[in-house]
Amino acid sequence: MEKIKFVIDGKEVEAIRDQCVLDVARQNGIYIPGLCYNPEVKFSGGSCRLCLVEAHQAGRMSLVTACNYPIREGLEIKTDTSLVKRIRKGIIELLLARVPDSDVIKELAAEAGIDEPRFVKDEGENYHSKCIACGLCIQVCEEVVGVSAIAMLNRGPDKTPGTPYKKPSEVCIGCGACAYACPTDAIPMEDNGDTRKIWGREFKMHLCSVCGKPYIPEAQIDWIVKTTGKDRVFFDKCPDCR
Amino acid sequence: MEHTKISTIEGLNKYREKILESKKNELPTVFVCGGTPCLAKGSRQVFEAFKKEFGAQGLTGSVELGIKTTGCQGFCNKGPLVAFADKDIVYMGVKPEHVPEIIEKTVKKGEVIESLGYRDPQTKKWATEYSRIPFYGHQKKLVLKDVGQLDPAKIDDYISRGGYSALAKAFSMNPDTIIDNIEQSGLRGRGGGGFPTGRKWRSCKAIKTDVRYVICNGDEGDPGAFMDRSIMEGNPHAIIEGMIIGAYAVGSNQGYAYIRDEYPLAIENMKTAIEDARGLGLLGKNILGSNFDFDIKISRGGGAFVCGESSALMRSIGGNVGEPRAKYIRSVEKGLYDKPTVLNNVETWANVPLIITGGVQGYRKVGTKGSPGTKVFSLAGKVVNTGLVEVPMGITLRELVFDIGGGIPKGKKFKAVQTGGPSGGCIPESLLDLQIDFDSLSDAGSMMGSGGIIVMDEDTCMVDVAKYFITFLVGESCGKCTPCREGLRRMLDILTGITEGRGKQGDIELLEELCDVLKWGALCALGTSAANPVLSTIRYFRDEYEAHIKEKRCPAGVCKELITYRIDEDKCTGCTVCAKKCPQKCISGEKKKPHTIDASKCIKCGVCKTVCPFDAVIVE
Repeated sequence: MEKIKFVIDGKEVEAIRDQCVLDVARQNGIYIPGLCYNPEVKFSGGSCRLCLVEAHQAGRMSLVTACNYPIREGLEIKTDTSLVKRIRKGIIELLLARVPDSDVIKELAAEAGIDEPRFVKDEGENYHSKCIACGLCIQVCEEVVGVSAIAMLNRGPDKTPGTPYKKPSEVCIGCGACAYACPTDAIPMEDNGDTRKIWGREFKMHLCSVCGKPYIPEAQIDWIVKTTGKDRVFFDKCPDCR
Repeated sequence: MEHTKISTIEGLNKYREKILESKKNELPTVFVCGGTPCLAKGSRQVFEAFKKEFGAQGLTGSVELGIKTTGCQGFCNKGPLVAFADKDIVYMGVKPEHVPEIIEKTVKKGEVIESLGYRDPQTKKWATEYSRIPFYGHQKKLVLKDVGQLDPAKIDDYISRGGYSALAKAFSMNPDTIIDNIEQSGLRGRGGGGFPTGRKWRSCKAIKTDVRYVICNGDEGDPGAFMDRSIMEGNPHAIIEGMIIGAYAVGSNQGYAYIRDEYPLAIENMKTAIEDARGLGLLGKNILGSNFDFDIKISRGGGAFVCGESSALMRSIGGNVGEPRAKYIRSVEKGLYDKPTVLNNVETWANVPLIITGGVQGYRKVGTKGSPGTKVFSLAGKVVNTGLVEVPMGITLRELVFDIGGGIPKGKKFKAVQTGGPSGGCIPESLLDLQIDFDSLSDAGSMMGSGGIIVMDEDTCMVDVAKYFITFLVGESCGKCTPCREGLRRMLDILTGITEGRGKQGDIELLEELCDVLKWGALCALGTSAANPVLSTIRYFRDEYEAHIKEKRCPAGVCKELITYRIDEDKCTGCTVCAKKCPQKCISGEKKKPHTIDASKCIKCGVCKTVCPFDAVIVE
């Protein structure tokens, strides 16, 4: 792992070659917003575009997404210029018009000084709930869980994550990683007694043999046992009672 | 010719000599254009007539060789076109009944039938030589030289015209010298970006790796563009030869030709060409005894516009949904299957053999200093001569539109020319003397793109044009990143409002703000250039936007919500034609007296204006 130095907001810091800017910025206490970024995902898609920063390299300047821009020799990053603020504000306004009910987006809008979007808010048949179509849920399901139960459906403005043909997925294990990872809390997951409902399918929950709490879907246990060879007995108790 | 593997360069030369020898006593080959427009105009019937007549006259020996359907010959609106091998003769508007005379005079005796040539609308003189027909005379055919002059399905045709001699020459060169040559030739990517091809190859070669790939991008997605299709259909071996040379130079053993599925003939011709090249040993192991192995697979694209973007294309080849990725680590470093990859467009690959054969100096004789060589354009829209043209870089837009294109039909006034496909821009009359090359077009707010040229006349509403292209882009945006997915549809809402009379103060500024977000914020080149149609029309035709917004008026008379139809009392003779044709029956009046239109029922279909023999219908 080759260590190199680069400059961010005038400060020289150390990083590993090809490490992403956002990681290092956060390690150094520099705030860059970002919704579709999750450190568990290997290569951030860079789709929400909120983490745009100025990258100065080899005499050229471009706006790049900090979540997947690789740090190399001679790089200088500026996170707080008027250009960065202007474009970021434009993106937040677009997101606010798409998901006017999202608290996360409302908060970002307030920070950027936007009261109301200048566009017609999406509602009725254009209603997107709180989903900003960033695709993090899909990446987590594929890379972290290893299941790929969901994918992007349609394209353009209609792009939305979902199970194939919007039917209950046979491969989904009900783990809910997508819902936990979602930056705008847009994936409905209902835990009701010993059942969990997500993506239109009901999962039977496994009860802890000590406290009796339903804590993990049976399908998820099956998946872990199958892929890791872990002993099924391990799941008798919930993490709190182990 | 018998197809056995050729294993040496000398063998290739001997093979070529043998083809030429066997062709010596043949009648000149007749080329009936088999491009889509000519087929639509009946070229297949002409082709059949030739075949029948050859049979009837006992010219059987040369029927199969004598008549060939070929790729596009370019002058589409004058089709069906017929040409003859190695003769400076082209016939236009040929019908089956012309065939016997053509065979008697031209095929057998080499005589010219003037009345089948081109008639200059001004001088009324006939011309059958390419050089004397303005549409062809101003062109410089290098890449298209053989398109329409050989049978794309016959590798022997290509070889007999010097094909694969560039490859033979390349094998005698050091791979690095080939890259030097491409770099010094100044060849820039013909797919639109204009990135220096030599530099791309060099960067790919510099990466230490076990596997490298080369890709040919044949996913031509711009509406109305058919340059790459014509090359793939008309001369596939030129692309294959270019790819082998490129692969040899960078050290790749596997190539892919990504062709959109809407181009079935291009796929078929490329497939045949690859198989034939393999059959002769020009693809496969130890090509021409060089110890170099290379082969090409065809990958068919599903037709998404975004798959023409290199990273989306590579994902698509890999079996994933075609979505671009951030290219901070470039494809030459991590491309297809994460391996170093060189991706070039069809036309770029077809330029490679020309550079190797003609040398750097020879290649640079054509074109400008910053953009050497030629560019193929598809000329369409409100222009007299439409079709496929190849011109030297540096030619002016005026020459392209007026000299080659023959100007605007029906005596209308020129308004703008749109270049670069849907994410290109509109260039006004004041910039007609602009030299066409990568840099000047982008300075003017447009771009070279893959080479679509759409000419617009005074009847075109520029706000409507911007709306048209943004509508296309909304439908083709992959939806991955926020600025493109959300920004474009908001732009479309605003543009629709303006064209429907709901435009308000501040709309232009809001559009400009959105363009700014797209230009800086979008993930791929499709998104960052998507603002061009709006920005360029605002830049050059702001008054039209303002007329729509402030006066609720469409100066070109296009936007239905903003226009009314009225009959000029002085011009109307009361002939009643309009009243009879009006689908709404909302035109009334006595015979031989001026008529009137009931505006409350009028649906502004324009039928009355079209049918009026006296130009009495006015659009306001």
